[in-house]
Amino acid sequence: MSGRVIVITSGKGGVGKTTASANIGTALAKAGNKVVLIDTDLGLRNLDLLLGLENRIVYTIVDVVEERCKLKQALVKDKKNPNLCLLAAAQTRDKSAVTEEQLKDICEKLQKDYDFILVDCPAGIEQGFQNAIAGATEAIVVTTPEMSAVRDADRIIGLLEAKEEMESYRLLLNRVRPNLIKSKDMMSVEDVVEILSADLIGIIPEDTGIITSTNKGEPIVNDEKSLAGRAYMNVARRIMGEEVDFMNLEEETSVVAKMKKFFKGLMGKEK
Amino acid sequence: MKDNIFAELYNKILGFFRQTEETSKDVACNRLRVVLMQDRTNLTPQLLEKMRSELVELLSKYLEMDKDALELNLDQEGEQMALMLSIPVIRAKDEAEIAAEEEAEESKESKESEEAEETEQDKENETLDVQDTESENNETTENETKTTDKQPKFPNKEICGDCRECELSDDIECEKKKLKDTKQKTEI
Repeated sequence: MSGRVIVITSGKGGVGKTTASANIGTALAKAGNKVVLIDTDLGLRNLDLLLGLENRIVYTIVDVVEERCKLKQALVKDKKNPNLCLLAAAQTRDKSAVTEEQLKDICEKLQKDYDFILVDCPAGIEQGFQNAIAGATEAIVVTTPEMSAVRDADRIIGLLEAKEEMESYRLLLNRVRPNLIKSKDMMSVEDVVEILSADLIGIIPEDTGIITSTNKGEPIVNDEKSLAGRAYMNVARRIMGEEVDFMNLEEETSVVAKMKKFFKGLMGKEK
Repeated sequence: MKDNIFAELYNKILGFFRQTEETSKDVACNRLRVVLMQDRTNLTPQLLEKMRSELVELLSKYLEMDKDALELNLDQEGEQMALMLSIPVIRAKDEAEIAAEEEAEESKESKESEEAEETEQDKENETLDVQDTESENNETTENETKTTDKQPKFPNKEICGDCRECELSDDIECEKKKLKDTKQKTEI
């Protein structure tokens, strides 16, 4: 078995790389794939928090590289899904503790036993980014419909294109607000896709549920009712090669749809 | 729930009045396109400015235009990058005018180069003379003061073999070379 190594990157910080990693990883595992999430943000690890695994980490990627433990020992199993595990970043070290070669090596070893290796990339285009993309052949570029995020995504795409081993990259448009797009105060999905001229892998609506799910340490894909959760599930299905239509967010978030949902909820309670 | 309905209503009313204006989204898109063009190319603002001034020089040969209002921008058209040049043309020059200007320039150039040649020759002659007398002078002084240390006449200056200009002026760059350069340019 040779698993796919996918790096999740963005350039700009705070656009939702880690949230995307946690959710896509969980969704892929839910669909029956064996998945490893690697946090490469040394010194600023957060993926463990989003998965609710912060208390279970014994060894980190730096321990693996410095041979204080075996690779398998450092993989932390998810609470709910046995198909999913996490290779955490060290919190006390900086980006130079791991080299490109070492990360490539880890990815190659994991490829034998897992279907998907998702690498959560740190923000920026420095060594941390170079490390994260070292072992990957595919990339998901996370961006939001804001100018700075789009500009940084363009820079990242340029760097990904320059890397020979990179076979493909696709765009994940995060924090989309249909109301603002409707009032022409936010760039639309089409605008961003046209400006970056890249293929789209998913559109995630802005969802307050993301905040509460992070608070609980449980990825939002586990909540099948939430819009963002469903959107992430669709991303996972597209990664697996299924053809899934993009959600019509305008319809989904319209007042009528919300009324329907509200009444459905009321009816359900009465019964 | 209520908040959402009001927000949507508000947006709709706002949108109705705003339709004629450029929306903030359009502004963002346009600004991004320009910025990304600059990011993607290695053209620095300095190079663009140079290109601009050279284009002005070339085009003003054929057109009378508002040089200050000339706009040179990189833009994207689909997949292709385009160089957009917008010049407010006051009027096009006619053939006779262009020909006359060309002639005037040529004659000016030839005059200049002739002058340059003349001055060059003059200077060469001069330098030869000066060198001769100098060497003579040196010999005599050497003979006279053999015991004292020999001191060069121009201790801090590079002496160019071709002319004396550089010895006399503080400029190390030889005047003659400059003249040669201008001559080459006119030939091109």
